[in-house]
Amino acid sequence: MLKLIREVLRVGEATISYPSKPVEVMPGFRGKPHHDPERCIACAACAIACPPNALTITTDLDQGVRTWSLFVGRCIYCGRCEEVCPTGAITLSQDFELAVADKQDLYDHADYKLAACRICGTYFAPVKEIEYVDALLQQSGLSDDYAANVRALLEICPACKRKNDVRKMVGLYQEKD
Amino acid sequence: MVIGNETKPKIGQSYVEAVRARFGNSILDETWQAPDQVTLTVSLNCLPDVVEMLYYEQGGWLASVAVNDERPLNGQFAIYYILSVEGNGDEAPPAEKAYVVVHAQIPPHQPEFPAVTPKVPAAIWYEREARDMFGLQPIGLPDQRRLVLPDDWPDNLYPLRKDAMDYRFRPEPTTENETYDFIQVEGEGIVQVPLGPLHITSDEPGHFRLYVDGEHIVDADYRLFYVHRGMEKLAESRMSYDQVTFLADRICGICGYAHNVAYSTSVERALGIEVPERAQFIRTILLEVERLHSHLLNLGLACHFVGFDTGFMQFFRVREKAMKMAELLTGSRKTYGVNLIGGVRRDILKEQRLTTLKLLGELRQEVTTLVNMLLETPHIVQRTQNIGLLEAQVARDYSPVGPTLRGSGFARDIRVIHPYCAYDRVPWTVIAKEGCDVLSRTLIRAEEFFESVSMVERCLDAMPDGPVLTEGFTYKPFQFALGYVEAPRGEDIHWSMLGDNQKIYRWKCRASSYNNWPSLRYMLRGNTISDAPLIVASIDPCYSCTERVTVIDVRKKKATIVPYKEMERYCIERKDSPLK
Amino acid sequence: MFGDNTTSNPMLAERSQYAIHQDPEIGQLKAALLKDIQRSVFVYRVDCGGCNGCEIEIFAALTPLFDVERFGIKVVSSPRHADVLVFTGSMTRSMRVPALRAYHAAPDPKICVAYGACGCSGGIFHDLYCVWGGADKVVPVDVYIPGCPPTPAATIYGFAMALGILSQKLKAVHHVQSENEHVLPRHPEIPLILRVEIEREARRMAGYWHGKRIAETFFGLIKGDSQPIEQTVRAYLEQEDDPRLTEIVTRLESIYHAYHGAR
Repeated sequence: MLKLIREVLRVGEATISYPSKPVEVMPGFRGKPHHDPERCIACAACAIACPPNALTITTDLDQGVRTWSLFVGRCIYCGRCEEVCPTGAITLSQDFELAVADKQDLYDHADYKLAACRICGTYFAPVKEIEYVDALLQQSGLSDDYAANVRALLEICPACKRKNDVRKMVGLYQEKD
Repeated sequence: MVIGNETKPKIGQSYVEAVRARFGNSILDETWQAPDQVTLTVSLNCLPDVVEMLYYEQGGWLASVAVNDERPLNGQFAIYYILSVEGNGDEAPPAEKAYVVVHAQIPPHQPEFPAVTPKVPAAIWYEREARDMFGLQPIGLPDQRRLVLPDDWPDNLYPLRKDAMDYRFRPEPTTENETYDFIQVEGEGIVQVPLGPLHITSDEPGHFRLYVDGEHIVDADYRLFYVHRGMEKLAESRMSYDQVTFLADRICGICGYAHNVAYSTSVERALGIEVPERAQFIRTILLEVERLHSHLLNLGLACHFVGFDTGFMQFFRVREKAMKMAELLTGSRKTYGVNLIGGVRRDILKEQRLTTLKLLGELRQEVTTLVNMLLETPHIVQRTQNIGLLEAQVARDYSPVGPTLRGSGFARDIRVIHPYCAYDRVPWTVIAKEGCDVLSRTLIRAEEFFESVSMVERCLDAMPDGPVLTEGFTYKPFQFALGYVEAPRGEDIHWSMLGDNQKIYRWKCRASSYNNWPSLRYMLRGNTISDAPLIVASIDPCYSCTERVTVIDVRKKKATIVPYKEMERYCIERKDSPLK
Repeated sequence: MFGDNTTSNPMLAERSQYAIHQDPEIGQLKAALLKDIQRSVFVYRVDCGGCNGCEIEIFAALTPLFDVERFGIKVVSSPRHADVLVFTGSMTRSMRVPALRAYHAAPDPKICVAYGACGCSGGIFHDLYCVWGGADKVVPVDVYIPGCPPTPAATIYGFAMALGILSQKLKAVHHVQSENEHVLPRHPEIPLILRVEIEREARRMAGYWHGKRIAETFFGLIKGDSQPIEQTVRAYLEQEDDPRLTEIVTRLESIYHAYHGAR
């Protein structure tokens, strides 16, 4: 008993003074995912990786808009989005003070414009994603001719690409015959 | 489907030969998933005999039973009895230790199989679950009640059958009452108990019934699985196989990382992925950090249940250091999210290493003081010695795991028997006690705590260089293997089969408490009801699951519903019995 | 295509008909409750099917380091005594009725808190067959405390927010792409292949979190042209004095030299 009292006295005040003083979290603590909408290219890598579907992507092909959404209320703070993001648009902040009264405040949305196919005019991929791929091609040191060829393909939707390929193949077979 | 490394010697060959000698032509196939993992396909009618032979004659422990709907693959249901076969302990040299999986196929036009439970009682929950989830009837199983599914779940809808339903299908609720049929204690007419209207869950949900004669417990029954959500279905439908690690973290809020490692290793073994040495060490360190905070939680609760609340608060104060360590090493206090298939997501650099060592030193010192204090408190021994006895034979029959088993004299720890991660590369000792009582189980946790502290220190010192992640492996369809981890509460066993679509085809995870619950009934018998919460806490079922307790007096034929908090109070104060 | 498409199939539509309709008068009473409750908040926890992570973190919030009882927040053992009900875990099929019973047992006005990712929305289990979703599918919820699980500090913040002591920080954000929004690759001065190889090796050696930081530091070191990078790197490593960091950075350096050697 005496030992216990001695221990209690030795320890003294153990309680931290949060919330009157901020509490320190460890470096590397995984808090709310912070999305930098300017750096996001709406490629959906994060939504595919997200285990609980806190990150979702909806694509409106009529309006040509792709919406990225984060529902903090479903997030499990695993950081997979940060790990897979190609542009570094998502980082897990150290922010844990997330309680809200209105559920709508748990949502982050960002709308991105889709590019229309140069041939058929349907919306198919985010403008920013196409620009980003183009910039990567420039950076990767390809020859100018080759890069220009690839760039022309960037503006065509997958369906038209397939049609073009089929036409080319048919052409090749006809040449053979 | 032989993918084991053929160059390594096979461990467990002697068991296979013994089974073949007895059953000869009934053994249809033999495949090796790893050097110490073999799957024997046997004909359905001799399934119980093969399992019984391995269990009782060759020193087998029932690790898990996985049922699988393989009709899309080969037109049959499959059932896998997973045994860790370890010899009977009297062999010289010591017997080899291997996982022997007994596999049988069940034809879909006759969805039934001979129950193993009459021969090996440990199979009881698994076989009830097979009926719930797959609609496979265990013939000869006395207990006809549901285990996992809610009482109002439609009959003849078996969630894990591949053709049953979409994983999101939610049948309309049919009842506003619970209709579970609790056991009847023999020889006495028991009053049917209306469910307590209000005293419901506050911690983990579960419904207990104790059958008492005066203050003495004659028998006990419980209805658990109030929290059944359908994870196994989720893993094979919405998620890809590499997302399931994050789901495995959430099987248990305390020992989630153990599940995570068990799942990851099962997939890695099935795909033949070599996990880098450094990642193995990091996993070991994190598994032991998890054991630190889990055991401190249980020691704190042990104080609480004997009425030593100051000790309880002190243990929780110290436990925060272990939580800080977890946060430092993983970025989160729980649900670490550190594993990927092939390795880990975080390294340990100088800063983390030094802080961890410092925290470990503080923990060792403070917990030493607290444990001494706990043991010197006179009524601790008085309240826990010879209470909640788990006799060695009962333990042998029901395959309980972890400190629950080690408290009954079996020095059985998966970390030694089937070493995984880096457990065979750092020295440490298995703690076991002979007392079979609550005290033994508590002391084991206290000693294991210090063992874990040393183990983390040794791992930090011995950690090799090199990468922490293997990339560029090939996903091979329909491979399967076991993963196993000694979690703070005992072994977690995961059996995973990969699909052909970047998903898991079947994931059977078995948490440690699943094996401990069935033997709890025997621990409770013969004790007074004031000790019931203490006994339940001694198997450490996360946080005590005895929220709603129904007490039935077999002599007075009277049923009383006692809120758990009242039971807890009685356990602490031991006066003013709630039954009077 | 990605993620949440539960509403596309009417059989699978989220059900809200079980949610309780709340009398508008209760709203006023709640405001009065919040005003008068001050330092005497009785909390009852309802686990509707969680993994226990949230329960233990609530427990941790009660213990000496965080000690919520200093704000008069006390966990009680019956909903009859409670002012605040905390719902943890995704609402499972079996727990809907018990949760409703707890809700009805607590006297009005009462504050309902959805705690943790599962309580707020069903979390990782949100669309499963034995789960109804978050607590708000069954009871009206006043405050959401996200987290998986929320840390004890997040719990304190959540309660302080619910009681009006602290203000809400998080606000809904809706960004719409503006005209001149373009994303350029990071470190344009480093050849793409070299950048990718270094980032990949750093992740393989140290995981995504340390790896990202180490790679960024390394890019900083190789950008300066004032002296050969061997010297810059050595100076940096000597200053850090961390054998593991040295191992990783040395590997990155060899990738750098291999790339330039091959040129």
